[in-house]
Amino acid sequence: MTAIAAGTEPVTANASRGSRARLLRDRWAMCGALITCLFIAMAVFAPQLSALSHNNPYTYHLGALSGSGLPHGSLGGVSSAHWLGVEPSTGRDLFAIVVYGARTSLLVGFGATALATVVGTALGILAGYRGGLLDALLSRFTDLVIAFPQLIFMIALGAVVPTSFPRQIFMIAVIGVFGWPSLARVVRGQTLALRNRAFVVAAEATGASPAHILRTAILPNLTSTITVLATMAVPGAIGTEAALSFLGIGVPPPTPSWGREISQAISWVSVDPWYLAPPALALFIVTLALNAFGDGLRDALDPRGSGR
Amino acid sequence: MKLARFLTLRFVGMIAVLLVVSFATFVVFYILPADPARMECGHLCTAGQLRQVRAFMGLDKSVWRQYLDFIVGIFDGRTFGSGKGAVVCAAPCLGYSFQQSRSVTTLIAQTFPVTLSIAVGAAILWLISGVVAGMVSALKRGRPIDRALMTTSIVGISAPSYLVGLLGILVFGFKLKLLPTGEYVPLLQSPLQWAYHLILPWCTLAFISAAIYARLTRSQMLEALGEDYIRSARARGLRERRVIGRHALHNVMIPVITVFGLDVGTLLGGAVITEKVFSMYGLGALLINAVQTTDLSVISGVTLIAAIFVVLANFVVDLTYRLLDPRV
Amino acid sequence: MQRSFRLSGHRRRASAGALSASAIVALALGLSACGSSTSQSASGAGSSSQKGGTLTIYDSDSTFAADPAKSWSLAITSMGLLDRRLTTWKVSSNGVTKVVPDLATTTGTPSDDGQVWTYHLKSGIYFSNGKPITSQDVKYGIERTYAPALSGGLNYQKGLIAGTNGYNGPFNGKQLSSIQTPDAKTIVFHLTKPYGDWPWVVSTTSMAPVPDGDAPAATFGNHPVTSGPYAVQSYTTGRSLVLVRNKYWRQSSDPNRSAGPSRIDFVLNEDPTVEAQTLIADGTAASDAFGADFVPPAQLAQIENNPSVKARLVTSSASPLEYLAVNLRSTKLHSSKLRDALEYAINRKSVVVASGGTIAATPATTLITPGIAGRVDYNLYPASNTGNLTKAKQLLDQAGIHNLTLTLATENDPVSLAISEAVQQSYKAVGINVVLKPLSTDAWTSLVTGNSASGYDLALTSWQPDFPSAMDNIEPLFDSSMIGNGNFNVSRLDDPAVDKLISKAQGTINPTAANALWAQADRAIVATGAVVPLVYNRNSFLRGSNVQNFYIGEFPAYPVYTAVSLAQ
Repeated sequence: MTAIAAGTEPVTANASRGSRARLLRDRWAMCGALITCLFIAMAVFAPQLSALSHNNPYTYHLGALSGSGLPHGSLGGVSSAHWLGVEPSTGRDLFAIVVYGARTSLLVGFGATALATVVGTALGILAGYRGGLLDALLSRFTDLVIAFPQLIFMIALGAVVPTSFPRQIFMIAVIGVFGWPSLARVVRGQTLALRNRAFVVAAEATGASPAHILRTAILPNLTSTITVLATMAVPGAIGTEAALSFLGIGVPPPTPSWGREISQAISWVSVDPWYLAPPALALFIVTLALNAFGDGLRDALDPRGSGR
Repeated sequence: MKLARFLTLRFVGMIAVLLVVSFATFVVFYILPADPARMECGHLCTAGQLRQVRAFMGLDKSVWRQYLDFIVGIFDGRTFGSGKGAVVCAAPCLGYSFQQSRSVTTLIAQTFPVTLSIAVGAAILWLISGVVAGMVSALKRGRPIDRALMTTSIVGISAPSYLVGLLGILVFGFKLKLLPTGEYVPLLQSPLQWAYHLILPWCTLAFISAAIYARLTRSQMLEALGEDYIRSARARGLRERRVIGRHALHNVMIPVITVFGLDVGTLLGGAVITEKVFSMYGLGALLINAVQTTDLSVISGVTLIAAIFVVLANFVVDLTYRLLDPRV
Repeated sequence: MQRSFRLSGHRRRASAGALSASAIVALALGLSACGSSTSQSASGAGSSSQKGGTLTIYDSDSTFAADPAKSWSLAITSMGLLDRRLTTWKVSSNGVTKVVPDLATTTGTPSDDGQVWTYHLKSGIYFSNGKPITSQDVKYGIERTYAPALSGGLNYQKGLIAGTNGYNGPFNGKQLSSIQTPDAKTIVFHLTKPYGDWPWVVSTTSMAPVPDGDAPAATFGNHPVTSGPYAVQSYTTGRSLVLVRNKYWRQSSDPNRSAGPSRIDFVLNEDPTVEAQTLIADGTAASDAFGADFVPPAQLAQIENNPSVKARLVTSSASPLEYLAVNLRSTKLHSSKLRDALEYAINRKSVVVASGGTIAATPATTLITPGIAGRVDYNLYPASNTGNLTKAKQLLDQAGIHNLTLTLATENDPVSLAISEAVQQSYKAVGINVVLKPLSTDAWTSLVTGNSASGYDLALTSWQPDFPSAMDNIEPLFDSSMIGNGNFNVSRLDDPAVDKLISKAQGTINPTAANALWAQADRAIVATGAVVPLVYNRNSFLRGSNVQNFYIGEFPAYPVYTAVSLAQ
């Protein structure tokens, strides 16, 4: 599904004054933006938020559990001390785990997308503008990266990389490196189309340097495409991080991670479904919010075709 | 002439890509901390025995040499040791798994039908439902059905596949007891059971992919419907159905097919998470198992096969694109 | 991925839900280190087993090694159904597990010095292809385990049989002169040293007889010729293994196996959580089945309040030991006070909870596990179950250790991770920062059993002996010859006094005297600080309602597959 991680729907119009107004009017998109901002705030202020209930995501509270590891009380141990309940087998506070888990997901999600965007844009523009052999080589290189079985490589690389190397950086690198081809392809297509437009040809004829043309003629016209592609790639990157954590190769314990919590919670779902709810819902809501916002952004920037 | 040149260039390119992917896989697993020879040597292994086993498996050679042996083996088969204690891997030998005492080709042949079953069924399901939903959405733009479909699809792409699958098993398998909770039944053994056991995996995969395709189809459709030639077709008095069917659809399907080809190609290499969640032993599960046990031969062999599928799919799509749209 | 078929020695757990799961009997010697004793399942051993029906076994393993040379199975689990060996185990639900004759007439006659062992084969024993089993077949079966292509099994015999240096199998016509077969019914073993536990070694799965033949040896496992009550009908990787009756097997020559079901279907590649829930639900298919995997903690909690399901749960006695191997070669762990502090600070209660609660584990302070003859209970570092933090901090201050960071290598299945986190928490309370290094089972094994001592300071390990002798609790784990090369002296303990004690105990043929020496060794090793015993694990298994004679003896902590039958 990564081939179309970002929408391949081309965005041909530029950002204009009208698009900002359109975006603001789009209720879904604005909701999405608001929720995303809330989650970002949650991640940034995680220590403060969990301190409100005098908790952290690491301390065990064996007293909150029964002998078989199940939380006391209803709703998975929800109480004034533990707002979202506790984790079975350890008694750790779920609210703290969720807010700290946001850090991992959002950091890796945004970081990997940033990396993929920078690399993808650079290579896409190069291929599209230069054409010829360079284009052919870069296209083959793109094919190469797409042909790699991503998940397998990530698992294997995860086993090779030493534990001293910060895991979040590793995940940003690995998800970003496998994420740039789809962006590069679209950017290349757009660049190719732009290159043949009259004003670019004219600029070249007057002897402007390629760097100048790229900066003034091509890049500005790509901004909206790139923005949309990047925005739409973030939820995918967050999802990939969660999937990797689910498979056991994400950040190691005790660093909280939504994906790992979900994989643990699945086996408890028949006896303690409230364990699954917070991390699963958190992941789902932030992904949904980002998708809604991305949709709205794309619609706002391209009123002609795909808008609502 | 141009076509012949295109084909030759692409073919050479494909081979190059496959060589690089397979070599990169080799190198990565070569530097993994786990030692396949130690595993094969077994419990209470002495240094001398380990040396013997390593030599037998060909792991004492350089990574270049091992890679060369692997490539040659694909065409010529491979033999480890000699005499009755020898291990023979018939051509095409994609490697030999000492842990499972079987050639990788045999393992792939046994597991590929599972992956194929999952991929083909899900692909047909999501293509049809996604495209139809997208078209309906585009034609009824702004109306409730459009909103409903698009909301569902945005929910679909936001949900993690493993969660959807696991909840599906819980609800339909355990609580409602309507569907089986996993396992694969071969088609030849019982077509009905085969399909019955695949319903949940198909629906899980299809739900998420259909959402993506619905959105894609819708936006392509809307864009196409706004084109000049459509307007002129309408102005000429052509029936709406003809307008859509012949003209708009044609242009919509090109990007959809492009993406579809690549998705199916990738899926044929193993739907890792789906196979894991539904306990179906396809290429993806074979691969994950091999990574866990550092069975380098299986990993290299399956990676190569998966890469072949992706590269082929890419090629078919590009060829189709070229044939259908000579402007490119 | 758990490997039920590779059960012995280092005990691996299921990885539920991810690239990624454990009960008991009254103890014969009245050792009560383990608290409660749960009652046995209603269908204990001893009820006459009925014949017929298809038994299903759910297993999370995706592959099955049918070649005895490559198998790690226990004598009474899957390979016990397929193969017989000179001796086997008699596991009863009440009493010590004994080694008893299987293909042989006795458990072996040692020479005076214990270095030469003689066996005579019974009559009326046949392979599944109708050929009679001879001593030459037993010899061939053992010789072929030396071939590089077939090395992967339990290899106790390899270091013990004389004259095998550099031997690589019988395929070039080279036979072992240290295994003599004067006639078709007699076999004599010449060992490298006196060895009291040879009858146990001979019961391990790689010692099964194999008929010689023309086919390449490595393909034997695809269509194995078996000596036990069952033969392989079909095997599909990742899906199923089907066993049917071996029509040449005679119950009269084999009182140790009940061979109840006519057919046994292994369903492979099962997810342990789904497996447990299927058995809990006890539908039509599941009622004739049992699970080969430990019941995960979540399902144990589910069963806790469900008496009808609880009656179908069997829990082993506390036996496999879960422990922290302290890497003595690490530069950070040279201070003996630090090592003592690690012993005092550990919070065993949280480890018990992480393991799945009291039904799954009890606190451990010795190396020799409960149920092994000769075990002496002691605690060298007196502390409550939650640890003695004051004493630990005192020791750390005395050693002048502050801001210490240690790396803990662990396997990445959920239970190991949970236990590692509990250890992490324990040591955090005394100011030691533990960094986890989760690895796949094979990467982990390569790291801790490899030849380099770097990369870990602590390692979370578990160990079940391959046979119930105190020797197997100690020698493979703490003898200096077991460092590196894939062997399990993960602490890399190299102590001449300990080595001497081990070798003395091994060579002592009299069991009581040997046991006393082993108990001494146990204490001596824990005193070096090479190991922090954590808990004894109890494994729990679930059966369907039609399954009978499903029980776990004192050893091993697994159900006796060879006794299981179905209600007719």
